[in-house]
Amino acid sequence: MNKKEILKLAKGFRGRAKNCIRIARERVEKALQYSYRDRRNKKRDMRSLWIQRINAGTRQHGVNYGNFMHGLIKENIQLNRKVLSEISMHEPYSFKALVDISRSAFPGNKNVVLPTRKVNVSSINV
Amino acid sequence: MALLCASASAIFSSSERPSFASLKRTMPSNQSSFLGFFPDLSLVPENQRWMFEESEADGPDIWNNTWYPKAKDHINTEKPWYVVDATDKILGRLASTIAVHIRGKNLPTYTPSVDMGAFVIVVNAEKVAVSGKKRTQKLYRRHSGRPGGMTVETFNQLQQRIPERIVEHAVRGMLPKGRLGRALFNHLKVYKGPDHPHEAQKPIELPIRDKRVQKQR
Repeated sequence: MNKKEILKLAKGFRGRAKNCIRIARERVEKALQYSYRDRRNKKRDMRSLWIQRINAGTRQHGVNYGNFMHGLIKENIQLNRKVLSEISMHEPYSFKALVDISRSAFPGNKNVVLPTRKVNVSSINV
Repeated sequence: MALLCASASAIFSSSERPSFASLKRTMPSNQSSFLGFFPDLSLVPENQRWMFEESEADGPDIWNNTWYPKAKDHINTEKPWYVVDATDKILGRLASTIAVHIRGKNLPTYTPSVDMGAFVIVVNAEKVAVSGKKRTQKLYRRHSGRPGGMTVETFNQLQQRIPERIVEHAVRGMLPKGRLGRALFNHLKVYKGPDHPHEAQKPIELPIRDKRVQKQR
């Protein structure tokens, strides 16, 4: 790429990286590497954000994300996380219906073993 | 002859049919006859213009575009305020719940780059509790930057001196570190006694879902 194209890609960079070709060339190369990597990372980040949003939405109804998804799988509801997060944001009543379906299919794990409270050994009277 | 006619008709048809975009904007405004052509949009008030955009006739398209919170989705004056009494609450568990509410992680509209959280008021900060021997053993350190400038204080000493700082230190450690985190920290208001000056914001009780936050006496 010639200098003009590089400096065009370097718009908005900090300091000499936007003006001087030697520095701009390095920074632009790095920027293009980052954009290549981040086109793949964006898919991961968006899915993680959807999961966080679904978690928040279900916890408002007393169910956590893991139990909710397990219930949906049991009912063979194949909505993906993107759509579920959009429903939880924009269609709250429909989302509550989904949570109720999931809760009826999987009410939660009754066999959960709670961690035992650590007792101060010196306080036990033998 | 036929060729001439064909070319003439081609020229005729291409020049006669105006483009859709130019039709929208350049038709003269005659509000009484709006059925056939689009009216001049500059005469329509702002909040009704969506009715005349064909693509947005049913509202903005939320299913094919990524939603990102606009400025009107996080106006500071319309955010909820919560109040929590710190008397005999375990410090870390309380701070964790506060941080979740300040950051907005309890809302389905959570966005990591935008401040969507609420404001939290903590009262009776000097009565916050810790378990075990932390009262005498937990150390708070700070460094002035100069050599030999490290100051170490125990939980007890700091509680005597500036009790608000204990809760603030705990919550600040649980908020993200960065520009947004520092802005979020300003949404926490900690007070020493049972009163706070924010009655005008009508704070409601902070819902704590942790079962072990209250110190067992």
